[in-house]
Amino acid sequence: MDFGLTETQELIRSSAREFLADRSGPATVRAVAEGDAEAIASLWKDVVELGWPALTVPEEHGGAGLSFSDLAVLLEELGASLAPIPIVESAITSRILERYGPDAIKVELLPQIATGDVMVTPAIVERDASWEARSAAVVATRTGSSLVITGEKRFVSFADQATHALTLVRTDDDGPALVVVPIWKSPGVVQTPMKHASGVPVSSLNFNEVEVSPSNTVATGGEAVAATEELVAAGGVARAAQLAGLARAVVDSTVKYTSNRQQFGRPVGSFQAIQHHLAEMAVAAKQVNHLAHSAAWSFTREDYSVRRAAQAKIAASEKIPALCWTAHQCHGAIGFTWEHDLHLYTRRALAWKTDFGDPAFHKAILAGAMGL
Amino acid sequence: MRFEFTPEESDFRRQLSAFLDDVLPINWHGPADESRDDHWALNQQIKKGLADRGWFVMSWPKKYGGADSSPMMNTIFAEEMAYRRAPGHDRFGTRMLGPTLMRFGSETQRTQHLGAIARGEVQWCQGYSEPNSGSDLASLQTRAVLDGDVFVINGAKIWTSLAHRADMMFMLVRTDPDTAPHRGISLLLVDMKTPGIQVLPIINMAGVHSFNQVVFDDVRVPKANLVGDLNDGWRVGMTVLNFERSGIDYAAWARASMEELVDYVRNDESLVSTIKTNPDVRSKLAGLSTDIEAARLLCYDVAWRQGQGEVPSSEASMSKVAGTEVYTRVLDYGLELLGMYGVLEPGSDQAELEGRFLKMRLFATSGPILAGTNEIQKNIIAQRGLGLPRAPKR
Repeated sequence: MDFGLTETQELIRSSAREFLADRSGPATVRAVAEGDAEAIASLWKDVVELGWPALTVPEEHGGAGLSFSDLAVLLEELGASLAPIPIVESAITSRILERYGPDAIKVELLPQIATGDVMVTPAIVERDASWEARSAAVVATRTGSSLVITGEKRFVSFADQATHALTLVRTDDDGPALVVVPIWKSPGVVQTPMKHASGVPVSSLNFNEVEVSPSNTVATGGEAVAATEELVAAGGVARAAQLAGLARAVVDSTVKYTSNRQQFGRPVGSFQAIQHHLAEMAVAAKQVNHLAHSAAWSFTREDYSVRRAAQAKIAASEKIPALCWTAHQCHGAIGFTWEHDLHLYTRRALAWKTDFGDPAFHKAILAGAMGL
Repeated sequence: MRFEFTPEESDFRRQLSAFLDDVLPINWHGPADESRDDHWALNQQIKKGLADRGWFVMSWPKKYGGADSSPMMNTIFAEEMAYRRAPGHDRFGTRMLGPTLMRFGSETQRTQHLGAIARGEVQWCQGYSEPNSGSDLASLQTRAVLDGDVFVINGAKIWTSLAHRADMMFMLVRTDPDTAPHRGISLLLVDMKTPGIQVLPIINMAGVHSFNQVVFDDVRVPKANLVGDLNDGWRVGMTVLNFERSGIDYAAWARASMEELVDYVRNDESLVSTIKTNPDVRSKLAGLSTDIEAARLLCYDVAWRQGQGEVPSSEASMSKVAGTEVYTRVLDYGLELLGMYGVLEPGSDQAELEGRFLKMRLFATSGPILAGTNEIQKNIIAQRGLGLPRAPKR
């Protein structure tokens, strides 16, 4: 067991903190939440220069070849600053391409993901909001030399910034498949913003007889199920790491506020009622942090722990939104205002609670892994 | 970061587990009841066995008979013992007094006591709480007055675990009543056979004689039994508590109970087997197992920090709060699943799981109370960990 950061991780943390403090403050977060796509584009350009999309892409494909555990250190900081950039989306789709995709796709896309020329976002969920691999209704029909895709995907993050969507579809033989679908200025693809509480762009994607080459298929059948499960697990762990960082930021700012705010001639933070709220928040934040990093650590190039991934997402989803509500209580009326930034964190926590599977979804997976 | 054990650590866990396989009775489920003579004999036997293998005080430095093992190894030791609900402890001697004597004790005290603790030949108890001094420990009233070369002790200690089995007690006494409460306290070592000591049993709500009231009536203790300086007992005695506060026992008990529950639910012969496919049950057990893992990681974090030379006070409090809370929640849910059978006492012919969950749940009530209530732990987390302001002095 080692809860300390490696030298590389220290470097990731300190450079991320410095950059994000400068470039992803509350003003940027609010601008993006109000639909400022330019703000995302400008932030993303700098992030690409910092090499963040290349972080976990293997070296043989032009990336830095760092581990998921290293990535989690960055994700914590992205969560703490609510940075509105698609690092999670890019990192987990590139992992799935690398683990399950044919060589041709890896050779073509991974180097471009590393340079930021390509960004692939996952498109799994549909109208029924299910993360189940066998639930897709969007169809991919083989027609001549093409796959023709028709149907609607929902809850697709950063679709406006993505060049491709890693799309879960149903094939002619009724089995699932994961297909890389170009969506950037692609005829037949219609994006509609969903006005999501996360404050980052989340859209529905309508595929109207979109033709792609069959060689864009990443996995089919049982392989597609495994790949989708791994994608959801990785996404859940990534959200857990972000939620851990978000929680740390909320605890820190609540400590600061309650240490300064005076009532009855003393800081409200000196009252035991407030101290116990904060102590419980601190325990929850630390638990989620450890579970997230323990789960991230289990994602090696070959494997991952189903149990740890589920536990991380369950704990993060249950504890961190609750932690935010308690932070509002500690802040009193000021924390109830639109002007105060606290609700930005609360909205993001609520949104991430359901993204990549809610607690009920992951508890079903964990119960299975426990032999129940 | 690395979230796995070293081969050496895993190997040690296996060896300890194999030793416990040998020494524990077949079908042992625990928990041990030290008021039963057969369980007490087993406790003494396992202590010796652990000592023979060099594990009983492995956390201690080599020169005192230990193995200088890492805090992580010590955590694994404690975890595995608790996971098996194994007797074979002298926590007061090995975890609390031993390290305190190494730091504050005289050469004579070390020679006299450390070896006996290390060999598992002696049993210690801790005399801190008093009838009127619980969380506000510094208000303690038991008096020790110096009379030549002896302290004369008068007063009473309470909630003293194992006083009825112990050979020795380390206790806090008031040696100066005329100064601030924290400044007039001293730590003394007392032979339980000294005339004037009376041990009065207290039966806990689980029906077990686990703790006692200990009355001191003109008990004469050599001055040489003072640990550290006169009136410096608060500092010396609080060091003991720093060694005491960990959640690993609770996290391990929670894990053992959870596994027992999962096995029970899966067993077709069980009276509640039809609930195994109930999504509510699956979901609740999965949620609890998540919180057990969360508590466990907090304990490992404490061990890791200790290994880095830190004194992780706030983190230790977190582990105690998380461990005790999740343990009681697992047992609560166990009782809920067992339903009407859950409230049958051990010894009932119809009891499921031998009535263990009821007994353990009643016993577990003490977890959030003892060794610093969880409310006190939260004060520590808030003030020492988060730096929140203390309440102004009245």
